[in-house]
Amino acid sequence: MSGRGASLLVAGLASAFGVVLLQVTSVLATVISGDDVSDIGAVRSALSIVAVLFITIAVYVSSIVTTNTVATIIAGRTRTIALMRLIGSSARDQRRAVAKEGLLVGAVGAVLGAVVGTVLLSIGLWIAVAAGTLPDLRYSLIEPLLALPVLVVVLSTWCAAWVGSRRVLSVSPMQAVGAAQERSLEETVRRPARNIVAVLLIVAGVLFLAGGVVVGQISEYGVLLGLVGGLLSFSGLVLGSHLIMPPVLGLVGRLLGSNAPSRLAAANAQQHPERSSRATIGLVIGVTLITMFAVAGATFEKMMALAMEDPSVRRAISEMVGISLAVISVLVGFSALIAAVGMVNNLALSVLQRSREIGLLRALGFTGGQVRRMILTESLQMTVAAVALGLALGVVYGWAAAQSLFGTVANIGFVTPAVPWLLVVLSVTGTAVLAVAATIVPARRAVSVAPVTALAAG
Amino acid sequence: MRPLAPDSYRGNMENSPSELGLAARVTSLRKIYGSATTSVTALDDVSIGIRRGQFTAIMGPSGSGKSTLMHIMAGLDTASAGQAWLGDTEISALDDAALTVLRRRRIGFIFQAFNLVPTLDVRGNILLPFALDGRKPSTTENNWIEQLIDSLGLADRLTHRPHELSGGQQQRVAIARALATRPELVFADEPTGNLDSRSGREVLALLKAASTGYGQSIAMVTHDPIAASFADRILFLADGRLVEDRERSSAEDISRIMLGMEQRA
Ligand SMILES: Nc1ncnc2c1ncn2[C@@H]1O[C@H](COP(=O)(O)OP(=O)(O)O)[C@@H](O)[C@H]1O
Ligand SMILES: [Mg+2]
Repeated sequence: MSGRGASLLVAGLASAFGVVLLQVTSVLATVISGDDVSDIGAVRSALSIVAVLFITIAVYVSSIVTTNTVATIIAGRTRTIALMRLIGSSARDQRRAVAKEGLLVGAVGAVLGAVVGTVLLSIGLWIAVAAGTLPDLRYSLIEPLLALPVLVVVLSTWCAAWVGSRRVLSVSPMQAVGAAQERSLEETVRRPARNIVAVLLIVAGVLFLAGGVVVGQISEYGVLLGLVGGLLSFSGLVLGSHLIMPPVLGLVGRLLGSNAPSRLAAANAQQHPERSSRATIGLVIGVTLITMFAVAGATFEKMMALAMEDPSVRRAISEMVGISLAVISVLVGFSALIAAVGMVNNLALSVLQRSREIGLLRALGFTGGQVRRMILTESLQMTVAAVALGLALGVVYGWAAAQSLFGTVANIGFVTPAVPWLLVVLSVTGTAVLAVAATIVPARRAVSVAPVTALAAG
Repeated sequence: MRPLAPDSYRGNMENSPSELGLAARVTSLRKIYGSATTSVTALDDVSIGIRRGQFTAIMGPSGSGKSTLMHIMAGLDTASAGQAWLGDTEISALDDAALTVLRRRRIGFIFQAFNLVPTLDVRGNILLPFALDGRKPSTTENNWIEQLIDSLGLADRLTHRPHELSGGQQQRVAIARALATRPELVFADEPTGNLDSRSGREVLALLKAASTGYGQSIAMVTHDPIAASFADRILFLADGRLVEDRERSSAEDISRIMLGMEQRA
């Protein structure tokens, strides 16, 4: 999968998700209001608010993924860009070309995604009506509102390409001339200001979050503090991911063994903090969100179980929580899927960009099996680190949400966070499947690198 | 070591290469690239023996087949016809897995550029052949490595990573790695090609010292007469054939031979 292919897929998925979700709300509104056409507007707007929330999450995640894909491509293209600069192309021209490509990819992906999504939904709707699951009403799937998610995806892909290409500006024409091993572009960038902002955001966010939990015990407004805390700290985490991910990756790397393939894989993830955090942060976000909703729901259920005497009320609450969680998980899961696409692509690109290094290892006596193991370890390391961190963060956020939102309702003080076992099982299997699936293409490619690749001059 | 006349092994096929004092040998080697219509003959009936304990240079103009020869001798590429031995092992008969282990345990490499794994520090790079083999160096090996590190002047660079080193320092790390396992033969492909002349000479002097000091067999591909003048013996290739076989020569003599070859072409 090339970088452009991945960006196309990400834009397509986000756009399809947005379009389908709006269409589903329209279908639901039609069903709920039944024959009473005058009522449809109110139902629709209530559902739309929920839809917009989840579309925003999907677009946010896909923007991060696209930004990172573009940045990874640029890092691998340093030499070519330097050569273009050497023969007189300006950095701005180079960057504009990248952004233009982003606009094109975003537009094609968004439109394709919208069309495919609409077709799939129409088929699903037709089957549901034929099977009698849904009444045979006049559903309107095509409406002007659908242009909105498509447009948002195009614009966000364009912006993401622009942001992701900022490193073009730091490529010097001299980098085309140097022949010796040079410091890679990934490592030269130090942004102290960004680090400070990230730390401040996290500290402030945690304080607000704690405040929300405490205030939530006596007032329902605690949740507002908690919300602010969640947004601040999470933004800080994303902004400071290059500080947070490397140690987590290092820890996971040490757990994965100390033979040569594992050690090289660990070194690779840690020596390129920018790249490895870029590859994983999308997945961290996805897993955090899923876990947060699941833990919030389960903890709420637990609080209510402790607070309520009546078993029938308990059953009703747990049923309601179950349904809401299933819906929310599917909606957020889509963002996690987009993030997974990003991670897979990042691994593939990083292998592609390291063919000389892999050739060197092969020449020095690394077997094909060892190369494959190195890439699998790298993939495992990234996936395990991302999922583990996401689970941990999600538990904290979910618990804080439940405490600050329902603390006064339940009025039983603090409870320990409840973690649904299904979530844990799904995370573990999802991690394993993703880690292995992500290596299929890169491993084949890496094993086919001829040892002589390293010997070529230049 | 018994000095041999260059062609003494020919017609004497019952002797094994190692009995002949050879670290490696190729006979009637041919390498043809491409398909029938667009084929390039990179090596045309080449027979060469690399003597044990010697520093041998393989010279020739660009495109003469030096790299191809080295790749086949080192088990990195396969020949179209002919045989290649490392010691008494016929490597042209080995499969990829066996060749991989052979490269890891019995051969050292120094390339022109991109010799080092960028994510590993100097020590990690030097110890890489042991790590690839899944073992730690023995006490004697450790002493040897420490000695190498000292003599190559790398003692205060062990925790540096490749991008923090100059080109000459990087090549010295590559030399340390190539010598660390005391391989039967070290292959060097244009090891000074990317260096300024002073660092280049340092690297060549170190290779020569390894060969005279403790009998390391080295085969170095180069097109630089000054580099070749450091060697005990110089083999000249032109258009994929062996055209000259000289004992130690001055850079001037080597240049003259090269010029003669170019003029004949
Ligand atoms: N992979 C290849 N495919 C096709 N031709 C090749 C390949 N490698 C080398 N050659 C050709 O074989 C000849 C010898 O190349 P090489 O061994 O690299 O020479 P040298 O190292 O002396 O410059 C040249 O004509 C070169 O173009
Ligand atoms: Mg060559």
